[in-house]
Amino acid sequence: MSQTLLISGPPGCGKTSWILNRLQNHRGPCGYLRLAGYPDEGLAQAPDGGIDLAYLQDQCPRLLDLTDLDQALAPRPEHLLALIELPQFQSPAESGLGGVDRRVIPQLEALHLRPDEHLHFGRDTALPRQDTLDFSSLQAWQRNLAGSVWDPASLSSFWFELVNGAYGDVYRAKALMNLPDGRAFFCNWMVSQEGSQFLPLQTIAPPDCRPERLSRLVVQGKDLDPGAIERTLADCLLSEALPHPSPAA
Amino acid sequence: MARWALISGLRGDLEVYEAIQEELRQTRRVDTLFVLGDVIGPARNCDALLSRLQQPRRGELQPQCLFGWWEDQLLAERGYRGGRRADALRLSQGETAVDALLQAVDPGHMGWLAELQFGFIELDCALLHASSATVEDSLGPDSSPLLLLDRLTRMEVNRLFTARSGQQFSIELTGGGIESQVRDLEGQRHQQQSVPKRQVIGIGAGVNYTIYDPGTDRFDFLTAGSRSQERARGFA
Amino acid sequence: MAHAVISCLHANHAALEAVLADIDQQGIDTITCLGDLVGYGPQPNEVVELIRQRAIPTCQGCWDEDIIEGLNACDCSYPSQLAERRGHLAHQWTAEQLSEENKAFLASLPMSLRRDRLLFVHGSPNSQHEYLLPNMDAFAALERVETAGADTLFCGHTHHPYVRELRDGSIRVRVQEGVASGGPSVEREINLPVRRIINAGSVGEPRHGNTNATYVVHDEATDSVEIREVTYDVERTCRAIVESGLPAIFAWRLRHGFEYAERADDASHVCER
Ligand SMILES: [Zn+2]
Ligand SMILES: [Zn+2]
Repeated sequence: MSQTLLISGPPGCGKTSWILNRLQNHRGPCGYLRLAGYPDEGLAQAPDGGIDLAYLQDQCPRLLDLTDLDQALAPRPEHLLALIELPQFQSPAESGLGGVDRRVIPQLEALHLRPDEHLHFGRDTALPRQDTLDFSSLQAWQRNLAGSVWDPASLSSFWFELVNGAYGDVYRAKALMNLPDGRAFFCNWMVSQEGSQFLPLQTIAPPDCRPERLSRLVVQGKDLDPGAIERTLADCLLSEALPHPSPAA
Repeated sequence: MARWALISGLRGDLEVYEAIQEELRQTRRVDTLFVLGDVIGPARNCDALLSRLQQPRRGELQPQCLFGWWEDQLLAERGYRGGRRADALRLSQGETAVDALLQAVDPGHMGWLAELQFGFIELDCALLHASSATVEDSLGPDSSPLLLLDRLTRMEVNRLFTARSGQQFSIELTGGGIESQVRDLEGQRHQQQSVPKRQVIGIGAGVNYTIYDPGTDRFDFLTAGSRSQERARGFA
Repeated sequence: MAHAVISCLHANHAALEAVLADIDQQGIDTITCLGDLVGYGPQPNEVVELIRQRAIPTCQGCWDEDIIEGLNACDCSYPSQLAERRGHLAHQWTAEQLSEENKAFLASLPMSLRRDRLLFVHGSPNSQHEYLLPNMDAFAALERVETAGADTLFCGHTHHPYVRELRDGSIRVRVQEGVASGGPSVEREINLPVRRIINAGSVGEPRHGNTNATYVVHDEATDSVEIREVTYDVERTCRAIVESGLPAIFAWRLRHGFEYAERADDASHVCER
């Protein structure tokens, strides 16, 4: 029997980690969709820019992309576990499927998706409990890093400064970053958890070239200083010594 | 197991080089020839030797060369060392020696000389003209053990082969230690450090050269053209 | 008689004023400065002028040398591209700000100062750019002091104040000379002298975990050394960093007790250039 699950919660609550865990423990085919979410008053939803999907696809190579219309129209494989991720700050008013944000329904219907169950972080006990943060006014900033390669030592300095508040109060930072040896890292930090995750992707690009895969940095927080972040990025990204010029990002 | 021959201080003497090559070919089961610098000098024209090092004859070992003190002086005087000139030579032996050195080497060899490296690291051995400190550092049997230990520590190797003094010698560090006490804002720490088992080997110069067997860690000090003494010379 | 040794002021005027006040208040009138008057911080001219006005004997630091002669620090002294770019930016800014007179003063500074068996240098007797870290190989550390002919070596450059005593050292060797020189193998043992390295830390750019300025006081009568920590108005310097147009990240790093640009892991590395 197939199952379609809608998972919602505020940024940094651990949705993606929980989803990865579910996908890896499911024996049959799996699909994934990340919805954009809606900016509630004063709170900017961080556009994720495909980071979660790219990371999950790297970890689960046969993961179906549920945004793919061809796949939506094709007959669904048996025992499909379809997981839909929805960033959502406020806890739903109603429990169960009744609490699903009405605005997502048309989008899901267009993709032939009908959740059997809705779980919200902070509401449903089936999900791990996380510290709930006060997101009274949240800014989001993101930067496309496609084709960029980091000086590894500079990346660790920059990340240290970023998550320790050198560029504003950061609640959440996540990124996919390319290194010169062809590896890429999923970098993940949230204020509610101690320390950063640096998880290598399975897929390795040829060394010393500009990888074409998705690479992006997303930051959420208060009083962010994007100009200062940009200046530091410019000093961290490798420019010369790579055979291929950087494609326009 | 392959053995190394280590030579230095030819100072343009092709005859000595040929004599060593001949000896190596006949008797020594050597597969690598290291030339630790000073292939040139002011006393004679060096062009024939330089050409031979760049184009070995058939049956000769291909030499792996480093630059030595004399090459460094020439490279400096010819502008290959930034603003530095052959000041050390000028100071110690005068302007005539500088002129003689310039005369001794055809400028056509400068490109090859400029490409030479400062040192080789092979296995746990450093092969240098002098030491890791400078190309001028003359280590000999009378050098301070503290200085030798410092030079070994800088290279992080167990054996340092050096040629600058021109002498054939071996100094093994066999024991000893030191106490260190550090106090800083975090408190006080004691540390006891032992002397590591390491060795500095002077390979000689000109006709005096050294054979080293990395497999057995055995080396022989030899003199080209005096085969009768051979047996007495070897020690591990 | 007690004398004070200060180092690595790095154009931090508030920190220098606080340290000099702390020294004055102890009635100490002999001060030696181990260089790095400028670099990263916002008040290079003010700091140089205060040192000149107080006529404090000073040796040349790595930054003082680089400002005069163009960048001498090799790329390998920076562990990352980010640190290197920030270092270069600070260098360029400082070179533009410094008056010709103050540059001439920095150019006139000696590599080392000596008083009897006390030797004062910035990095090590070999180079202004060499780091003598507290955990450096003890024999190599002793070699630096011994080769320089000193009993006590005062240095800075690491921005980490410490006192290190090296004692009870000995080395045993077996010497064998080639037949060409003749002679059998000889065993000998040398006893190493007791020597001391005193690092004065940093007035203007702490790297020891908090924001306090550090320096040392050496009492020659008792031969004791005190590492002094001095609080100062960090915010005054942070405001000056931002107002002067230096990157705001410098202020953030100073305020949190991090060095402006990180150092290479292999701090003992000295470039072959
Ligand atoms: Zn300094
Ligand atoms: Zn310095």
